Amino acid sequence: MLLSVENLEVKYGNIQPLHGISFHVNEGEIVTLIGANGAGKTTSLHSICRLAPPEAPRVIAGDIKFRGESILKTSPSDVVKNLKMALVPEGRHIFGNLTVMENLELATYSREKGADLKQEYQRIFDLFPRLHERRQQRSESLSGGEQQMLAVGRALMTGCTFLLLDEPSMGLAPRLKYDLFRTLKRLNEEGMTILLIEQNASLALHLAHRGYVLDTGEIAAEGTSDELLGNPDVKKAYLGG
Amino acid sequence: MFRRYSIQLILVVGGGLLTYVAYEELLNLYTLSVLMFMGVNIILSTSLNLVNGNMGEFSCGHAGFMCVGAYVSSILGVWLFTKDKVFGAPILDPEWALYAFPFIILAGGVAAALAGLLVAIPSYKTRGDYLAIITIAANYIVISAIENIGSIGGSRGFMGMKKVVNAMGDVVDLPWMPIWVFIFTIFCVWIIRRYVSSTFGKGVNAICQDEVAAEIMSVNTNKIKTVTFMLSSGLAGIGGGLFAYIIGYVNPGSFNILKSTEVLVMVYLGGMASLSGAVLSAVIFTIMLEALRPLQIIKWVVIPLLLIIVMQFRPEGIMGNKELSDIFPWMKRFYRFK
Repeated sequence: MLLSVENLEVKYGNIQPLHGISFHVNEGEIVTLIGANGAGKTTSLHSICRLAPPEAPRVIAGDIKFRGESILKTSPSDVVKNLKMALVPEGRHIFGNLTVMENLELATYSREKGADLKQEYQRIFDLFPRLHERRQQRSESLSGGEQQMLAVGRALMTGCTFLLLDEPSMGLAPRLKYDLFRTLKRLNEEGMTILLIEQNASLALHLAHRGYVLDTGEIAAEGTSDELLGNPDVKKAYLGG
Repeated sequence: MFRRYSIQLILVVGGGLLTYVAYEELLNLYTLSVLMFMGVNIILSTSLNLVNGNMGEFSCGHAGFMCVGAYVSSILGVWLFTKDKVFGAPILDPEWALYAFPFIILAGGVAAALAGLLVAIPSYKTRGDYLAIITIAANYIVISAIENIGSIGGSRGFMGMKKVVNAMGDVVDLPWMPIWVFIFTIFCVWIIRRYVSSTFGKGVNAICQDEVAAEIMSVNTNKIKTVTFMLSSGLAGIGGGLFAYIIGYVNPGSFNILKSTEVLVMVYLGGMASLSGAVLSAVIFTIMLEALRPLQIIKWVVIPLLLIIVMQFRPEGIMGNKELSDIFPWMKRFYRFK
């Protein structure tokens, strides 16, 4: 088991968005967390990435384990550097003043000095040819879809083996959404483990191997994607039927 | 060959010229003092620009760190090399003053860097306006602490540094203060330029752009904030030390919020995150202060008014976030500011 979240309870001040959730991700899997707004999806990801306050909540009970070891005391930079987990945050959070290339370069911040990264840049440009065309352009001038590509590309340049994505399809045109999800599938086939948070439950479950349904800070349902797609409650609440 | 070392050559020639002019007394003492204050202001504005411009935090208590540097280096100098009412006979032979002086100034910088922790540690969890309030508080803490230490003069101030400057002149007859100010100004600008263009410095820029994004790109934000705040306040301490030795007297009132505001004005006038902008604005601001001196107290109406006008018509400051070499690309053949 690569990542396991065990009875996690967290608080932002007096507000408790998670009430003891448990889920796990195996190596090489795509796992999705689906749920409505305010269900605790982003909070879960921020807790896993150990973001510093005020972004991340305070863990009051439970544990987050990576390969069996607790990571509650791990710093956010070590999560990326040592555990090889990278987050593609909601809203992309790209460095708007920097060019596409500078954004990608910044992602190699903590990597070994002198490492040959040419192949890795090439891999990003193979995955997202538009980024290659726009590599010298300031990233704030990119379209929403291109910015999302950059956010994913930047996360990959950290050298991660475990990708966490927070609502990557938000604000994208349908075609771009499908393109992005195809790329995620390709990455997974190359060995990348993916934890995906998505409001578009149908799209996410069609991509993922397994899924969890979050409802007001609790796991309401879990199972393989096919099981969840066939679950009448999930269908009614999240799949429009 | 010439291009490669041109900037070093210009600095050596400039330094030599300054020494010659000061030695031969071709410039009067007032002009020389203005030039020295210009150097101190360059140190202050470039060091604050590191935090406010490059890192995007809002620090407005820079004078507090300057104060720590000024007092520590003054006390060290007076204690070690002069006969003083409080400290008694000199600890070392005054002949050593010349060689020890840079270390004394650096010691002031180190003490100010440690005081910078007062701001650096709260910055882990506090941002924006709230951090600004903490920096003002730090400024007041430093001033109030010194005002209440009677043995170093309290609010009356501390003096005796001129004797150290004279002791340096007794060893080798040169105008040492302009020389040291020149050397330390170059040193500070050089160190800031090295810092912001390093890999570590890219992390500073990342924090400015988006702290969350920086964190998820493996940038250790706490470490970078600590180092940057300490470097910035340390350099302010060096500026403070030089300031104290130029005037020969320090009192806590010289380092109040008005002084911090002056430095802020220089940073915003020059343009955020522009090193050459910070240097340029320090030069312009120092000249402006002196040119408007005949207006006496009214100059403090005119200068803020000028600032309002600049902010209305050029809110990004003189240079914006550009460097001189971006505006005049031919300069890149000789020197890159970043």
